[in-house]
Amino acid sequence: MLKYALKRLLSSLAVIFFVTLITFFVISVIPGDQAILALGLDATQESLDTLRSSLGLDRPFVVRYFEWLVDAIKLNFGYSAVYGESVVKLIASRLPVTFSLTVFSILIASIFSSLLGLIAALNKGKVSDGIIRTSVLVISSLPSFWVSLIALIVFCGKLNLFPVNGYIAPNESFFGFLRSITLASFILAFGELALMTRMFRSSLVRSLADDYMISCDVKGLKRSRALLHYAARSAIIAPITLIGNQAAKLFGGTVIVETVFSLPGIGRLLLVSVEQHDIALLEGVVLFITLMVVLMNFLTDMSVALADPLIRLSGGEAK
Amino acid sequence: MKKRNYSLYVGLFLISIIVLLFVLSFIYLPYSVDEMDIKNRFAPPNGEHLLGTDHFGRDIFSRILVSTRSALLVSVSSVLIGATFGLILGAIAALSPIAIETIIMRFVDALMAFPGILSAMMLSAVLGKGVINASIAISFFMVPVFARLSYSMILENRKKGYVKAARSYGASTVRLVVFHMLPDMFTRLITQLSASIGTAILTESSLSFLGLGIQPPGASLGLMLSEAKGYVLTKPYQALCPGIVLSIAVLGFCMLGDGINSYLQGDISYE
Amino acid sequence: MKKIITLLLVLSLAFSLFAGGSAEKNETVKKDIITMAIPVDPDGLDPQLTASASTFQISSNIYETLITVDDKGEIIPALASSWSVSEDGLAITFVLRDGAVFSNGNPCDSLAVKASFDRLTSDISVRRADYSFITSIETPNANTIVFKMDKLNVAALSSFAYPWAAVVDASAENLRNKPVGTGPYVLTSWTAQQDLVLDLNKDYPYEVKNEGVRFVIMPDLTAEITALNAKEVDLILITGDLASAVENKGYNIISVAGNGLQLMAMNSSNKALSDIRVRQAINYAVNKDEVIEAVWWGYGKKIGSHFPVVLKDYVDYSENYSYNPEKAKELLAEAGYANGLTLRMDLPKNYQEYVNAGIVIAQSLKKVGITVDINIVEWAYWLSEVYVGRNYDLTVVGHTGRLDPYALLVKYLSYGNENYFNYANSEVDALLEKYQSELKDSKRSEYVKRIQEILANEVPALYIQDPIQIFVAQSDIFGFKAYPINIYQMKEVYRTK
Repeated sequence: MLKYALKRLLSSLAVIFFVTLITFFVISVIPGDQAILALGLDATQESLDTLRSSLGLDRPFVVRYFEWLVDAIKLNFGYSAVYGESVVKLIASRLPVTFSLTVFSILIASIFSSLLGLIAALNKGKVSDGIIRTSVLVISSLPSFWVSLIALIVFCGKLNLFPVNGYIAPNESFFGFLRSITLASFILAFGELALMTRMFRSSLVRSLADDYMISCDVKGLKRSRALLHYAARSAIIAPITLIGNQAAKLFGGTVIVETVFSLPGIGRLLLVSVEQHDIALLEGVVLFITLMVVLMNFLTDMSVALADPLIRLSGGEAK
Repeated sequence: MKKRNYSLYVGLFLISIIVLLFVLSFIYLPYSVDEMDIKNRFAPPNGEHLLGTDHFGRDIFSRILVSTRSALLVSVSSVLIGATFGLILGAIAALSPIAIETIIMRFVDALMAFPGILSAMMLSAVLGKGVINASIAISFFMVPVFARLSYSMILENRKKGYVKAARSYGASTVRLVVFHMLPDMFTRLITQLSASIGTAILTESSLSFLGLGIQPPGASLGLMLSEAKGYVLTKPYQALCPGIVLSIAVLGFCMLGDGINSYLQGDISYE
Repeated sequence: MKKIITLLLVLSLAFSLFAGGSAEKNETVKKDIITMAIPVDPDGLDPQLTASASTFQISSNIYETLITVDDKGEIIPALASSWSVSEDGLAITFVLRDGAVFSNGNPCDSLAVKASFDRLTSDISVRRADYSFITSIETPNANTIVFKMDKLNVAALSSFAYPWAAVVDASAENLRNKPVGTGPYVLTSWTAQQDLVLDLNKDYPYEVKNEGVRFVIMPDLTAEITALNAKEVDLILITGDLASAVENKGYNIISVAGNGLQLMAMNSSNKALSDIRVRQAINYAVNKDEVIEAVWWGYGKKIGSHFPVVLKDYVDYSENYSYNPEKAKELLAEAGYANGLTLRMDLPKNYQEYVNAGIVIAQSLKKVGITVDINIVEWAYWLSEVYVGRNYDLTVVGHTGRLDPYALLVKYLSYGNENYFNYANSEVDALLEKYQSELKDSKRSEYVKRIQEILANEVPALYIQDPIQIFVAQSDIFGFKAYPINIYQMKEVYRTK
């Protein structure tokens, strides 16, 4: 188990290296840079060349990448070109928003989808099963940017239930903070609902029909005990993987909702850093998101290994 | 009495609406997608303009008809490309020695770790924009999903009894995958394929919504919504029709996947 | 027509409310925080390191320039209480106001001002080239600073009023993030993509009509209007298409023609576009009134040359090529493009209005047989490939005006490095050269008018409009004005009881 964990850790470092390298390469190759954005419509070839060399942007990208990498290894992530603030501080200031959005939406989605999935699986083929499956599908199929706009108008504009003015920091008012991210969390959760409910339901259905459930019945175990101890346990693997993936995906995928609701999260920071060719900030955000995803994948693989005795007992070799 | 598989029927019904619009766009287009009539902008639905006009006085109905073209073409082609590459990649990983497996699955992890919006921006910068490039970009998003699917399914399956049985009488790896595992994987695959087309339609519209997909004056549901976004307060109606059609398309494919899933699993109870 | 009348009404109302200021005297001013919504973060708050308007709108409240302008464009004192220009025009002397200090306590004397201008002309500065006319800076005493030049530059004085010429504490670290100036406000906090809070600067000697300002960043204009309706913000800037959402709701609407212009540039190095007949055909093919109506809902003043209507030497050429698609087809046939012509149009993505204008123009051009391939690109791409790289056929963009027209018109100097039109006309070159060293105002006006005429006839671009800015304030907010340079003077804004 430990060996497996170590191996995964090492390969994760490789993932991070490649993702940051590719990002750096692509952003350097795309026309436009920090110097030309600073000059704007006053840019001329001469002023551009002067500014580029004073900012060190005229050196080859490999040199600049390795400078960044060496600094990053020393945990020095530099300063954002746009904000003049340290990259670590900027990301840290965004963390509460994106982290709470991710956690809340996954929590909301998990609660609803596991409940609905369980009800649906137990009533397989009955009317309630159909209603649940259809309604989560309908909810999830609505495009999030569309729902966000409609929600903004209805709940914030007409009903005045939530603030339009975006975000309230948790240290200002914790209740206000919750209120400012509620709508966005629900909309994000809606998007996850169908996939997660379906996964919960189908894994439950499958494990309920599995051989060992029959043996449970034969042994005369109580249905609820069989459900909790055996069916749910083996049925949980696929949803864990899914939740892990979705949570990881949300870390970088909240940008549209953040934009519509004016929430200062990681997603918008990423958008700005790409638009502004702010390389230090972009690399910082990409590194952070990659770390989160890699970590999440690692944790899900570990918990899958723990939940599935076959993988666990084979020492994690999974073969 | 036989209980109906509602998801399948409703899904098929919704998809047939979209396909009907798609076919109609080639047969009968009331107006050209870029024909403007500034004096007549924001017209409500009327005899001349079935669904009214947008902020440039363009016919919304015609634009929706043409939008279904990009929605269907982009999504189906990108899912097919992405699924093919993804499944092969995942299968290779699952069946290869540990070193190759690690390389492939870390590559898939890297693809997945890459923030979608960033890869979209980068891909559009490298490839350029438009219908074909949008398809390629979206198929990139599909690869890791399918790779992980085939990878995890093969791993799960190899523990099952019938695989061990097949192994014991000396079936080859390829034979095992094609004749024994694939049929078992089929239900999950078809569910994922159908749902992925729905997701791809959403992704195409999100890309166009962010200005990375279909370019104006062309028509795409996402582009129409992004144009309507600016008027959602004054002319909320603008966002209605494209939003509904988009929802129907996504919903249709998701329900179809769900329906097929129940159908193939024999999930329909007979009483 | 109705639009224009309402516009005039609004304009006159705006002027009567905000021009004099005497009418406001009776009203009781309530000292309060003013909240203004802005679409994007400033590009740092160091005015010397960026050309971004979003920076100057905020930095102009934290730093002071030596001199500034009022809403009519007249030069008025700021950090300098008086100034004088030498007989030969080769030296400008400023006398600083007494006891000026930076917000960090450092004295703002002539040496500090010199240090600030040394920084403005150094390699790190974005505006370095604009101030290369300064050959030396002398500081005869702590309150006096003299700028010397060896060549006459008639725009020299006004160049000290631009927000990027603001005096910064050059000894301070990281001005992008921790600005240190002498202006009415100090930056208390800046949470990126959320808000900037400005508190009063205790050492600022003049009146400030509010208790502080909060700029809230709201990228979505719809959200801004919703926030205005919910009274969460006091002041927003909107585009013409949304004007109907705020009309008749009791808001104070301030709409003023800005000092700027919007145009579709045509690259003269393109073979077809180098033919004047093709450029004329394009001008005939587009109905500018329709473009202005479609994109800005009539909030704009049609122009026919490269000159904003608010500047004093403006001549109206807006009807020079009035809409005539038949004539356009004839001209195209004459030029040998009877069977059509395909051009590429690059549009900057972050300016929705330019994108919209491009779409409308493309549609008009299609009707006379010109196919336009629209390509929407990122701003950074647009700047490097289209603007500096000059690798384009057609593009729509806006230019903000300066106090002196030279900076606008120098874009047509054939060998100039801002000539992204690739335009060449020896008469224009000669006029521009003479302008810089001409001391007589009347002569300079003459040159400027002649250049406008040449451009209006030879149309290196399709000149569309001078945009009208629309600011919307809560009914109890007064004092906000638009200036001919892109600054906000928040110290004038107040809430009534």
